[in-house]
Amino acid sequence: MTVIDPTVAMHLSEAAVSVELETADMTINIGPQHPSTHGVLRLVARVDGERVHDVNPVIGYMHRGYEKLAEVRTYAQITALVNRIDWVSGFANEVAFISAVEKLMGLEVPDRAKYIRLILTELTRISSHLVFMSSYPLELGATTPLMHALREREHVMDLIEGVTGGRFHPNFNRVGGVKPALGQGASTKKMSQDLPAGFLQATSDAMDQVAGVCDDLDELVTGNEFFQARTVGVGFIPREKALEYGLSGPNLRASGVNFDLRKKGEMVLPYDDFDFDVPIGSNGDCFDRYVVRLQEIRQAMKIVRQAVEKIPAGPLQAKVPRIIKVPSGQAYVRTENPKGEMGYYIVSEGGRIPYRVKIRSASFSNLSILPWILEGALVPDMVAIMGSLDFVLGDVDR
Amino acid sequence: MSFWLLLVIKVGVIVGVVVMPLVLGIIFGELKISAHMQSRIGPYFAGGRFGWAQPLADGLKFMQKEDLVPDAADSAVYRLAPYVVLMGTIATFVIIPFGPDLIARDLDLGVFYLLAVSSLGTLGVLMAGWSSGNKYSLIGGLRAAAQLIAYELPMVLAVVAVAIQAGTLSLNGIVEAQATTELFGLNIHLPYVIIGQGLGFAIFTTAVLAELSRIPFDMPIAESELTMGYLTEYSGIRFTMFFLGEYAGMIAFAAIGATLYLGGWWIPGFSADDNLMNFIGPLVLIGKVLLLAFLFIWFRWTWPRLREDQLQTLAWKWLIPLSLFNIVVTAFFKVVF
Amino acid sequence: MIEPPSEVTETSFESYAAELGESLGAERVVARHDTVRIYVDSQDWVQTIQSARDNAGLEFFSWLSAIDWSRDVAVGDPVENPEELEERIEVICRLSSVENGDGAHFVSVLDIEKPAIDSLVPVFAGAEWHEREATEMFGISFTGLPNTDHLYLPDSFEGNPLRKSYALLARAVKPWPGDVDVEAMPDASGEQDQNEEQTMGEV
Repeated sequence: MTVIDPTVAMHLSEAAVSVELETADMTINIGPQHPSTHGVLRLVARVDGERVHDVNPVIGYMHRGYEKLAEVRTYAQITALVNRIDWVSGFANEVAFISAVEKLMGLEVPDRAKYIRLILTELTRISSHLVFMSSYPLELGATTPLMHALREREHVMDLIEGVTGGRFHPNFNRVGGVKPALGQGASTKKMSQDLPAGFLQATSDAMDQVAGVCDDLDELVTGNEFFQARTVGVGFIPREKALEYGLSGPNLRASGVNFDLRKKGEMVLPYDDFDFDVPIGSNGDCFDRYVVRLQEIRQAMKIVRQAVEKIPAGPLQAKVPRIIKVPSGQAYVRTENPKGEMGYYIVSEGGRIPYRVKIRSASFSNLSILPWILEGALVPDMVAIMGSLDFVLGDVDR
Repeated sequence: MSFWLLLVIKVGVIVGVVVMPLVLGIIFGELKISAHMQSRIGPYFAGGRFGWAQPLADGLKFMQKEDLVPDAADSAVYRLAPYVVLMGTIATFVIIPFGPDLIARDLDLGVFYLLAVSSLGTLGVLMAGWSSGNKYSLIGGLRAAAQLIAYELPMVLAVVAVAIQAGTLSLNGIVEAQATTELFGLNIHLPYVIIGQGLGFAIFTTAVLAELSRIPFDMPIAESELTMGYLTEYSGIRFTMFFLGEYAGMIAFAAIGATLYLGGWWIPGFSADDNLMNFIGPLVLIGKVLLLAFLFIWFRWTWPRLREDQLQTLAWKWLIPLSLFNIVVTAFFKVVF
Repeated sequence: MIEPPSEVTETSFESYAAELGESLGAERVVARHDTVRIYVDSQDWVQTIQSARDNAGLEFFSWLSAIDWSRDVAVGDPVENPEELEERIEVICRLSSVENGDGAHFVSVLDIEKPAIDSLVPVFAGAEWHEREATEMFGISFTGLPNTDHLYLPDSFEGNPLRKSYALLARAVKPWPGDVDVEAMPDASGEQDQNEEQTMGEV
């Protein structure tokens, strides 16, 4: 008896179908209102049944023109704009901007202010990744991780709110340091001047809670066979493509590139005082991008625990003039945002407002790979791949 | 009284007295169970205590909504689809036995009838998807059709093994057969899920999840991909019909599963001929239905969804060979013992 | 920890910038504020960037944008000395390394009336969106850009919003109520005068 190899048989049958049936492609318009586009992204997809032929992403529904607005705002006012770029990690957006301004002014920021910036940046990273941990399984149909991850994220948001007064948009950075607490200027050098009472204990408790939910997620999601079936080997991004499209952050590291601005680069925050690892993926698929983020939560917790122990006493503000005038010059500062490389190219002409601010946001570049990576994907994989890139539309459109 | 009128009255009584309260109960149960699995409280306001009236409140709210028919829709088919889904489900209650004599119509070809009408629901889904004039709906409807092909075969093959073991196609006959099967000549009677059909039960349950379009097989709805699949355009009372149909279907398949594998209205320790079973039988069956419904709810709030091609792989590469193997083993034991 | 900028400029950073500029055949190199700017002729644009990727290890495409240096300023402050300004459009492309912290900005000066330059898409496919953005925002035409549809703006939008001459409509209607911190400073000596840029020499 002749045994036909099943794969050969499949190809034979496919060939027969394609000869007999001329199927017309269907154009589906996904978004701007759609459950899996995280806001107002629109994808014009040409599909043949479940197979996506090509995708044309249409962005700009949330374009707020921050680069133009920055040309008519003072530096202090721009910090309020920039923390609305990636609203899931508002604080982290401010750090790179304010550091670029400080670099142009040649200011040396006090250590304590740097530590507070670092702690809040890492808390933001935890919060942003927990949002991913909740929304990504939801896109694959699992609803329960959402509730668990968001519940613990609330503890992190409470910490951020306790220090800055804002959950999403702290606007806490000032040129030369961070905002002093109520009524206490930079001259007060007491430990209690800035962080709320009991911050150390509250942080430790919150980190325990987050560690708990990370273990829960490992059991509920990471090890789940259905989850792995949907993500392992799906949405493969090779190293070269990731670099070519400027992917950064966890998306780049999942493709096996060991690059983290907290370890390499300009170091505007004192990350080299801490012991932590940078999780690297090997396969560059959706599962790796998920695992890298989950591990990054654990590493960020490690940094936060060390930082609250080691935080030095001292002033919160460098000595700055009342009116911030930035000497002319051009500077680019980038930091490792939860989503990837966040950078600001500031051109100053010596005034109180910048001549030009170029905002390099991570999600914009991360999303630009969509047409390449979605070509030939299945419709359900399209959702899995988009979700795994973890973009925020405010970060794409700016 | 004519045969048809009598049948309609009997089915009406079953649906009105048993199925609809159970549907509301299971909807409420799903709200509460999912809430507890997700560390929420769930409904607690409507009705004053535990929020028991939430499903009723939801139903009333749905009925107040405008019944929209899109311009691009094929109006007649679009309007008919929800009733086809609901009718297909209700028709299965004709032959589900609630006790030795509590059955609307004990057909000799009960299992055969069952498999036939239970697929009607998919026809309704396909109608809804096709007629909505919406691309998401169309993909959802076609996915449902593809799913039917994948899971129907393992389900039929799994049930064939039960029919072989019981030696009858009548559902009451299958229950009685479970009540009288002797384990190695000992005087112990146990349901088929323990004796012989454990594998069959697993295959049947998987297929039922696919038939019901519940996670992990809810691709026809797939909220994050197709917004709401074939339900995208439905609103108001017609959406309620689909909603009721989904939960009534859950009860119908749970009842079928309970009858075929868990002993139906019979529990070990009682005789199937006992008149007592006519009184406690319905309660026993409802208990088993609730047990299976809990399983379905549990799965839904735990797992992500699979892909359509992965369902096909699962069905054709695993479930069908396994169910054929199950038939061979069952037939072997049937002949030997 | 941040190193004070002066220390960095004096050591390896400066020599890195000079070496990089020399190896790529740059017109001019500016290294200041930890930011390397390498000026290249618009004719050599694609070739220089390809060479930076292949030979200098700058394989990560970070971003591409432009600066409009213009005397005609509708909103915001003009440049310090408008009379001396040479009107131009500068295209900036940032590349960086993923092996270490190296990175450089490649700058090409274009004619402000009809800015045109070759597209980077053959070298970095990811440049497409950035170039589409620069096209609509600055009116630069990229030769060889496969898709010139608007990226952010509506299809019917006219004008190039990030040009300095483009007025901000909201600002024209209602002046910004900000600028509350205008009172005289008690201690004005904190200001530093760092206006002069260090030019690293012409190559």
